[in-house]
Amino acid sequence: MSDRADIDRSLIGSSAAPFAVEVEKGAIRRFAEAIGDTAAIYFDEAFARSLGYQGIVAPPTFPTTFRPPSKPAWILRLDEGRFLAGEQGYRYQRPIYAGDRLQCELRFTDVQDKRSSKGSMELIIQDLIVTSPSGDVVCVNRRVVIYRGLSTNLAREASS
Amino acid sequence: MTRAGLHKPGDTFSIRRGPITTTQLVMYAGASGDFNRIHYDHPFAVEKGLGGVIAHGMLTMAFAASCVLEAFGPASRISNIEARFTSPVRVGDVVEVTAIVVERAAADDLIEATLTAEVDGRVVLRGVVEVASAAGPMS
Repeated sequence: MSDRADIDRSLIGSSAAPFAVEVEKGAIRRFAEAIGDTAAIYFDEAFARSLGYQGIVAPPTFPTTFRPPSKPAWILRLDEGRFLAGEQGYRYQRPIYAGDRLQCELRFTDVQDKRSSKGSMELIIQDLIVTSPSGDVVCVNRRVVIYRGLSTNLAREASS
Repeated sequence: MTRAGLHKPGDTFSIRRGPITTTQLVMYAGASGDFNRIHYDHPFAVEKGLGGVIAHGMLTMAFAASCVLEAFGPASRISNIEARFTSPVRVGDVVEVTAIVVERAAADDLIEATLTAEVDGRVVLRGVVEVASAAGPMS
């Protein structure tokens, strides 16, 4: 129970300290380049406005870049080598634009135990709530991280 | 690849991305802030039982979102996109993402589609998306 790399379930329901983000067009451009997306709405403000947007648009998964300045308490002691992407969801009330100043709160929502053919794992369920300065929710980003059990081995799936 | 402009249930659109390079994983780590070493440090990934570096799941989801915007056009607005990562993607893999319309609600022009990403026929991501095909109620 006291393994330093165990999930501390007493922290379920807690949140990391709220943090602010300023969405920069350079960050959007680098993100779009990294994902190999050349859509003009991510680079060209005049074009984006011609389609009814209020500025350069952030790609739909861009809020994944909204990270607390330091690792939240429920992640801090865990072994990053045991993390795998589980699930993600983005629910939008409006697009996110370059120049947006947003408030973010990351919540530790739940932990679920799971067993598969590859071994046991725990799902760390987190929700990032992104709000505008006026307090309206802009986006909710559900982040589910798989924490693999020590016996889990994915090497057999390695492609040649 | 079919042409953009999906309307009725069953309409399908696909894009391909890749082959994934280590350079792209490093670019994505920098752009996203996800510096987990399993995505670019080969000995570390081997030590952790992964058999080598694996791509960020969120990179594959970004491809899925790109597929949606290409399928429905740059003026379309995603109101919800969800995905589950079912198998690792590795350097050298070519990822094919397919969007299939399942429902169109005429009233608000909202389209629901399924998303599937595959590498050589192996499913690596399954998801769903709700998208308004033209500039609609969201501003």
